[in-house]
Amino acid sequence: MTEAAERVSGTSLLAWRNLSHDRARFVVTLVGVLFAVLLMGVELGLLLGFARTTSGLVDHTTADLWITPAGTTNVDIAGRLDERRRFEAMSVPGVAQVDRLMMQFAFWRKPDGGTESVSMVGFNLANGQGAPWNLVKGSIADLQQDDAVIIDTLYARKLGVTALGQTVEINNRRARVVGFTQGIRTFTQSPYVFTIHRNAQNFTFFRPDETTYLLVKLRPGADVEATRLALQARLGRVDVWRAADFAAQAQRYWLVTTGAGSALLLAALLGLVVGIVIVGQTLYATTVDRLPEYATLRAMGAPNRYLYAVILKQAAISAVFGFAGGMLMVWLVMLASAGSTVAVAMPPGLIGVLALLTAGMCALGALVSIRRVMRIDPTSVFQ
Amino acid sequence: MNRVLTLADVGVTYGRGATAFAALQGINLDIASGEMTLLLGPSGSGKTSLLQVMGCLLRASCGSVQLFGQALARDVGAEAMAALRLAHIGFVFQHYNLFPTLKAWENVAVALDIKQVPRAQQREQALALLARLGLADRAGHYPSELSGGQKQRVAIARALAGAPRILLADEPTAALDGKTGQGVAAALHELAHREGVAVVVVSHDPRVEPFGDRVLHLEDGRLVDDSRPSRSSA
Ligand SMILES: Nc1ncnc2c1ncn2[C@@H]1O[C@H](COP(=O)(O)OP(=O)(O)OP(=O)(O)O)[C@@H](O)[C@H]1O
Ligand SMILES: [Mg+2]
Repeated sequence: MTEAAERVSGTSLLAWRNLSHDRARFVVTLVGVLFAVLLMGVELGLLLGFARTTSGLVDHTTADLWITPAGTTNVDIAGRLDERRRFEAMSVPGVAQVDRLMMQFAFWRKPDGGTESVSMVGFNLANGQGAPWNLVKGSIADLQQDDAVIIDTLYARKLGVTALGQTVEINNRRARVVGFTQGIRTFTQSPYVFTIHRNAQNFTFFRPDETTYLLVKLRPGADVEATRLALQARLGRVDVWRAADFAAQAQRYWLVTTGAGSALLLAALLGLVVGIVIVGQTLYATTVDRLPEYATLRAMGAPNRYLYAVILKQAAISAVFGFAGGMLMVWLVMLASAGSTVAVAMPPGLIGVLALLTAGMCALGALVSIRRVMRIDPTSVFQ
Repeated sequence: MNRVLTLADVGVTYGRGATAFAALQGINLDIASGEMTLLLGPSGSGKTSLLQVMGCLLRASCGSVQLFGQALARDVGAEAMAALRLAHIGFVFQHYNLFPTLKAWENVAVALDIKQVPRAQQREQALALLARLGLADRAGHYPSELSGGQKQRVAIARALAGAPRILLADEPTAALDGKTGQGVAAALHELAHREGVAVVVVSHDPRVEPFGDRVLHLEDGRLVDDSRPSRSSA
């Protein structure tokens, strides 16, 4: 410690000793920061996880533009489009390819009876727009067969399926599970059931010339917005979206209409407020205990920023250790939730946001103490 | 000898209106380097107030204060006063006011740190200052592990960090027993004579009196006597 103290600044030394000389209070501070980070991390991670889930299908295609029935608000609830639209779209300059994608709710009867609602996804096997990803068992090629479907392992139990080749009924027609994916979640609680376009039409009583979405690939160098506007003008009563806009719309729709978004944000905000209050309280108590020392520093001629630095470094030390502990807990929660239908997403960007929130939280907590020290009277050292 | 501090017609009034109280009035005073000045007077006579004015801790309500020939502006701000203290003045307090969580040398190092002495030199300089006050073997102790006299000598070492030209002490021996108090007074005397520091000591303590080169008497906020006892030797 002597060797270490040689290299740290006076403010760091005072900050560290102030904290370590009142361990119980320091532990309270750390636990406060830790739980704030845990709460914020899990809630924001859930929010991001839900957002990714709601737009997962859109995000996993490579289409530049989506043509949807007019008034479509999300990818899960779809109307109908006439096949004719596809040929109209192909005639627009800049369009390279147009694929159909089916999306329709259906009833799934489990092998042992009992019914669940599912979302049928029918894609074009030839080019794979809208195909399932993360296949862990079976093969996509097997979907050629009339009754073949692929489901996700996360929902296998819910759908009463335990092995490849099991047969079930979808809308009273026989279906057979030929593959499993892992980690394709749904926000609607109706698991995605992947099949080829023709099968999806059959299962959901669509006519052969009907579909729900048209996915557009552009020629290299084509202007995305100009082509979108041209398609919109040519096709009339449909909506034409950039893929990213449609994904964002789906996220907005589900997170806003269900209230899930604001509930999660509110819980995260609560974590932030609790963190600020706890850090503010404990730091202030330490500061009040040490007021004579701050007055001494001031009498010695220390500028105010020197005193603020001592307080802010205490906040920073609490932030760093609390953040580390909190993220460890978040990681444990993520491990525990990996196999569930609810995902906590934690990309580096969100970790950065959480770090900033933690820093801001501790800085705000320090503000009360700084305000107190700002008013300190150095002549009080003579009393 | 150099005048380091000049007070001209200085007054200090606490409070205002009906409760206003004149703690100091019409103080005219020069403080020179290289000698130890004692400030005596009954309780409430204004000794601490005067020390605070000299130490740029308290603004004079009237009159002028000059530090090294430079007059303090009437509206000088708190940060500017702190900067003046930092540059020129060391303080020693009755109750030591050491940082209890820091070891002796760290207490001194923090004073050096405030004065922006490079970090790599802080430990070495702190140890040298402690050695000067005979505390080389106590550098690694916490204040709670030191005797009163040792604490006060750490405080003096800390006040000397950055080599201030003025050292102000308020009752530095009041909490110390006989011999220890004398030792601290001798240390202060030596600082004035060996290092040429201007030392001002407020004290009731008769053990301190023999070490004063000059004795000021305050009564009811006025300077009533300013003498140089002949017994003092340089
Ligand atoms: N902050 C203050 N507000 C109001 N009155 C004060 C303040 N500080 C000192 N006084 C008054 O000014 C007078 C001088 O006080 P000061 O502390 O300078 O005296 P002192 O000579 O140091 O006394 P002592 O020997 O008891 O320490 C006293 O009457 C005291 O009550
Ligand atoms: Mg006094």
